[in-house]
Formats: sequence, structure tokens, C-alpha cells
Amino acid sequence: MEEWRLIDLEIRDAAMNMAIDEAILTFNSQGKVPNTLRTYRWNPSAVSIGYFQSIYEEVDIEACKKRGIDFIRRITGGGAVFHDYEGEITYSIIVRKDHPKIPTNIIKSYQVICQGLLFALADLGLDAEFKPINDIIVAGKKISGNAQTRKKNICLQHGTVLVDLDPKAMFSVLKISDEKMRDKLIKQVGRNVTSIRGELGENIDFEIVKNAIVNGFSKALSFEPVKDKLTKEEFELAKRLKQEKYTSKNWIFKR
Amino acid sequence: MKKKAEFKIPGGKLVKVTIDVEESKIADIMITGDFFMHPEEEIDNLESHLKGISTDENNVKQAINDFFRTKNVELIGAKPEDLLYVIMKAIKE
Repeated sequence: MEEWRLIDLEIRDAAMNMAIDEAILTFNSQGKVPNTLRTYRWNPSAVSIGYFQSIYEEVDIEACKKRGIDFIRRITGGGAVFHDYEGEITYSIIVRKDHPKIPTNIIKSYQVICQGLLFALADLGLDAEFKPINDIIVAGKKISGNAQTRKKNICLQHGTVLVDLDPKAMFSVLKISDEKMRDKLIKQVGRNVTSIRGELGENIDFEIVKNAIVNGFSKALSFEPVKDKLTKEEFELAKRLKQEKYTSKNWIFKR
Repeated sequence: MKKKAEFKIPGGKLVKVTIDVEESKIADIMITGDFFMHPEEEIDNLESHLKGISTDENNVKQAINDFFRTKNVELIGAKPEDLLYVIMKAIKE
């Protein structure tokens, strides 16, 4: 079976997380590193916004600064996500675009890659469904959001898996168009969003969820995960991207 | 004066437009939202392409169609006509 590199559950800040994804993309496109699955958490907790979103419209920057929550712009489109250190695992898949398992059609490829998460959630006892364009739902509620970019002959998809839900923390940093709606939105979030712990009713460990995610993707995309580290070159590039791109005002406040 | 409009496309994504109209021309425009465009950087070219054109609907429509016809750009979660709709909504604000 084809071997993929597995960068096992890492805990890093927002800028480094996004910089590492881009560094892997760069080196994989040059054929210098294999196709890679990475899982990570965000410490401190952070809000990421989609490439096309306005930071001013989506993020309460003052509230973030006050609470020590990072805010960052992704290279992928899609919506604003609250990455709660205590409640979320992110994955990224960095695979060559011409890989036989990856459909050329982007919409189709979301479904193929997300199948890995459906296997993972099934493994944990949850009956999940793919909801086009890029969501996964359990009992009608969103449990995972995913986003993809394609550049330099690479398909990069990253996405979230909600392990636990803290609506109050979530809405403390996301902009709400009408302040009077805040309490209502906090109460209603449980109708639209769910988490693995919420669905299972037990305090399942991050490690177990992460293992299910790794197994799910290896099954869906038929690869054998081989644990490894970033190369020195990837790490150096990631540090530079963090400094020069992901923490720069030009990038974060671009829209 | 900046004018704004937004629209959640049924079965698609949210598109927001902030526009500056001067003498019936688009002086400035920013298209934001949770949609996808590949390659992403083309959003800047689309906005530049719309700057300076007349706000007449047929004209804006023509400019959007020209952009998507001549560029190899894929829009996901929104269609070119959805962009037109939100842009015209903002112009009429």
C-alpha cells in the first residue's frame, strides 16, 4: 500500500499551524516530501477566517486581544472558524493533485476526502453524513467544516472536527451583526452545531479522536500512515512564513 | 459613500459586497464572503476589472461575464450571476 507521511497531533499557535500547511504544500509540490496527513490543535485558541472574508466583518478583534485568542486568515476560502484548544482537532491533507484517489473536480474531491472523516466518526459510533459543499453533519447538525485550495500541482484540504462545544467562547470572538441577538445565538447554536462529546455523552479523549481520524483517512484514500516529522527545510520555511506572511498586517487585514 | 449588500445564496454561500459609486461609476469594490474561488488570488483581478465601469446593470453583467469567460477561474458556492445580483443590490442601496 502507498505510504503517506503522518505528522501526528501537534499543538501550535495559529500562525505556525497555517505556515506549516503552506510549507508542506510548497515542498510536496517540488517532490521533496511525500503526500502528508497532519493533525493539530491550536494553542492559544484562535479564530481563522476564509481567504475572501473581511476580518473586520467576522472577528471581534478587541475581544480576541482581551481574551488572548489569535486571529488569522487562511489560504483557503470558506467561513470563520473558532478553533477552541479544548474542543477541536484540525487535520490537513496535502496531496499531489494528480493522485489517482483525488478527483479533478473540486466539489467531488471534497466528498472523497471527507469520506475519511465519515469513517472516523462511524468508528467513534456516530452516524455522520457529508453535506455538500464542504460540511459534515450528525443528526442534522454540523460537526466538521472543510476547505480546499489547489496550487502548484497540490490539493490541500484542511478541516475541523468538533470534539467539544463552547458556544459562549465561540460567540465572544465572532462578530454578531445584531448585539441583541447574542444570547439567542448562544442558545441556538446547539440546534445547528454539535460535537463528538455532545453526541456520545462521554468525555472521549483527543488521542482517540485523532487515531480515528488517521485511520479514517488511510481507509478512504488507501494509504499507510508513516509517522514522521517535518523536514528541517519545511520547518525553516514555516518559521519564515509565520513571520513574513501569517502574522503580517498585510495578510491578516487584507480584506 | 460606501454602500453594502449581502445575500446568502440558497444551497450556497454568503456573498457580501462593499461598493463606492462616484458619478455612476464603480470607484471601488470589495467582494467578501465564505465562498470559494480558485485560484484565490483572482478575486483581486475581478475587483480591479470592475473598477471604473458604469453601474448600469447590463454593463456590470457584461464585465462579470467577460471576466469568467476569459479567465480560468472556478467559483464554488456562488455563481457569476449571484455576484451580479449582490453587486446590483449594493449599487441600489
